Amino acid sequence: MIPQLIVNGIIAGSIYALVALGFTVIYRTVKFFHFAHGVVYTAGAYLAYTVAREQLSDVSGQVSIFVWIFAVFVGVVGAGALGVVINKLVYYPLRQRKASNLIFLLASFGVFIFIQNLIALIYGNQILTLRTGPIKEGHHFLGAVITDIQILILVVSGLLLVILWLFIQRTKLGKAMRAVSDDPIAASVVGINPEKTILASFVIGSVLAGAAGILISLETNIEPTMGFSVLLKGIIASIIGGIGSIPGAMFGGFFLGLAENLGIWKISAGWKDSIAFAILIIFLLVRPRGILGTK
Amino acid sequence: MEYLLHILVISGIYIILTLSLNLIVGYTGLPTLGHAAFSCIGAYVSSLLALNFGVSPWIGLIIGACAGALLGVVIGYPSLRLKGDYLALTTFGLGVIVYSIAKNWVSVTRGPMGLPGIPQFSVFGVQLSEIWLYLILVGVFVWVTIFVMRRIVNSPFGRILRSIREDEIASEAMGKDTAKHKLLVFIIGAFFAAIAGSLYAHYITFIDPSSFTVMESITILLMVIFGGMGSITGSIVGATILVVFPELLRFLGMPSSIAAQTRQMIYGLLLIVLMIKRPQGIMGRYRFK
Repeated sequence: MIPQLIVNGIIAGSIYALVALGFTVIYRTVKFFHFAHGVVYTAGAYLAYTVAREQLSDVSGQVSIFVWIFAVFVGVVGAGALGVVINKLVYYPLRQRKASNLIFLLASFGVFIFIQNLIALIYGNQILTLRTGPIKEGHHFLGAVITDIQILILVVSGLLLVILWLFIQRTKLGKAMRAVSDDPIAASVVGINPEKTILASFVIGSVLAGAAGILISLETNIEPTMGFSVLLKGIIASIIGGIGSIPGAMFGGFFLGLAENLGIWKISAGWKDSIAFAILIIFLLVRPRGILGTK
Repeated sequence: MEYLLHILVISGIYIILTLSLNLIVGYTGLPTLGHAAFSCIGAYVSSLLALNFGVSPWIGLIIGACAGALLGVVIGYPSLRLKGDYLALTTFGLGVIVYSIAKNWVSVTRGPMGLPGIPQFSVFGVQLSEIWLYLILVGVFVWVTIFVMRRIVNSPFGRILRSIREDEIASEAMGKDTAKHKLLVFIIGAFFAAIAGSLYAHYITFIDPSSFTVMESITILLMVIFGGMGSITGSIVGATILVVFPELLRFLGMPSSIAAQTRQMIYGLLLIVLMIKRPQGIMGRYRFK
């Protein structure tokens, strides 16, 4: 039982870490809670589904690898584009008006509600799936069962985490993003365009969210409300890891995934969200800077 | 006609919810995203008392309101330590926790199956099963709420609340016990919201957790902001418009499944537009800092 819960925790944690990272990349440059991040995740999954749908309805159930690649490409690029559109249409006017953090937060809630219901209106409320073919038995590994898809989730999210880390640390744009995060005024003095950097952070963050959405929809089903719970987990993971810290977001994601899944060892699975929020509230009251946060 | 009266009853319940949230959010400036938790506890406590112990809805309403006030202390406590978006997130989280208790504590609340057959209010032995009679009852409660809220915000107590909203440190420097006032404001707000929840439960005679989701909390907050932050008239107008307007969609011949989503989309869009164009709302004086 315990090894299985740990494996489940790590897999859930890798998805949370991806969402938390995307959220953190955006948070570092704009410094407010981008709730609409969750709906970008949902949109990524639905866009990939739309491309693969024709093939999925086929009885043979075999989707060619090219269709898969195209579906993933559309999902990821679409998610990135959605992030850019939200930034342009909602956050940019708010920045012009020097709105407070809470106003940003509520506006992003509005975006979340709007797009989630738009998706529900287009695709309906029923549960859809991206899975194809017969369900294969997983591999047995140290007393736990792990499926091919779960291994794929782990490998891809691990790769994305490493790529993002290298990008932030090594590239010029990554450095610009760190500079804007530390001190936007000083950054603009040395010639970094803050708007361009914010745009870049929305692209990267939203692409990560879209990728996470597609990955999870290979494992479970997709439905219009899927982004809500995952977004909350991503935000909680970022806060308990230390808000704005990239290693913190990764760490927080895995920590939360494990805590939740080990928590349901004794109590029923319906309490997962409550466990996550209880952890958040304890952290906010006792150690608001999180595990790896600095101040 | 029946339908019109029903809309008025629902508007009345939302007016109580909006006014009670406005006291916390609009007058004291404490961002709260878990208001549905208070109406949830009010509704469940008085329904369970009536169903399991045959307690009269009147007594249930009062006990439910006291339970709500107690929850107000719990949800209000973080406001002593946290500010701004962190406070919003924490109250949001507490809202999710209360919702999932209602959903998962199946042995008591019957979870998603809900509680059917909740008894209705009766006055002097007359059961208020006619809608227009119930409308009068809700009207009385709305009037009492408006009266109490007016008295609160125009009193010295209300001035302290506004001073906390405008500048908490200055308020403390003037010797005001801001912690006590913040908790009190949560207790009062929660008390009235629980009454609204109880009124709802004994009117519909069925409740399930889906009536008390976080989306519900955001809808109530939207009513506060739309009408006007820190304006009693604004809250009445905001709640009424946002309850009545989506009903018009039905008259456009929209099927109910699509109408629900369209209503949510309108709410989302309205929230975005308000935040960009007029964050203090129609009649408001205060915007989130």
